[in-house]
Amino acid sequence: MSIEQVVIRNEIRTLRTRANEMSQQDLADRVGVSRQTINAIETAKYFPSLEVAFRIAKVFEEPIDRVFVCAFKRR
Amino acid sequence: MSASFEEKSVWIQLGALVVCGSIYGAIAGRLLASGVREMPAYAAIFMIAVVVMVVFMIVAYAMVALSGRQEGSDERDRLIAWRSEHNSGWVLATGVLTGVACMVLGLENVWTANILLGSLFLAEGLGLSLRLRYYHKGV
Repeated sequence: MSIEQVVIRNEIRTLRTRANEMSQQDLADRVGVSRQTINAIETAKYFPSLEVAFRIAKVFEEPIDRVFVCAFKRR
Repeated sequence: MSASFEEKSVWIQLGALVVCGSIYGAIAGRLLASGVREMPAYAAIFMIAVVVMVVFMIVAYAMVALSGRQEGSDERDRLIAWRSEHNSGWVLATGVLTGVACMVLGLENVWTANILLGSLFLAEGLGLSLRLRYYHKGV
């Protein structure tokens, strides 16, 4: 059985820009995490729980797969 | 990027631990070297070091609280804390096992107590250092 590598990236920076240059602090306040956590998610230093991922998607009123994009790569 | 309240809190705890550990280690080391084996002497130094640590932390937390907004911990903070404790627990376990070995071998209580205290300081220091690393490198 070949296991594929999962690569997850996100579009939060782009979505914030589209949402009238929403700041990381504004997004953090609406999601209920710290600004540093939003920064860590944006720079892929931290992958959030499903709960936080859905909250972020809800803020932007986008489906979750438009915020977090997943690609499968063969190892 | 400015540090979160939780990260500043870790810096404060690490600073307090280093100050407290240095005071205790320096004085207790001299006592051990000079042959003092009475436990009350070490207990007194430990109490003084703890008081210094508490004062240090109160002052530092007050300064941080006055300088910026306070935020509660979120899931990333909790994950970082859990992972750092998971990766530093072996130091304390090693110290406890060494302390038990000292008791079995019949060494003086003062050695057992200081080995246990030392391993507690080292485990806390490693745990806090790992937390800072995870905050910067990612988790």
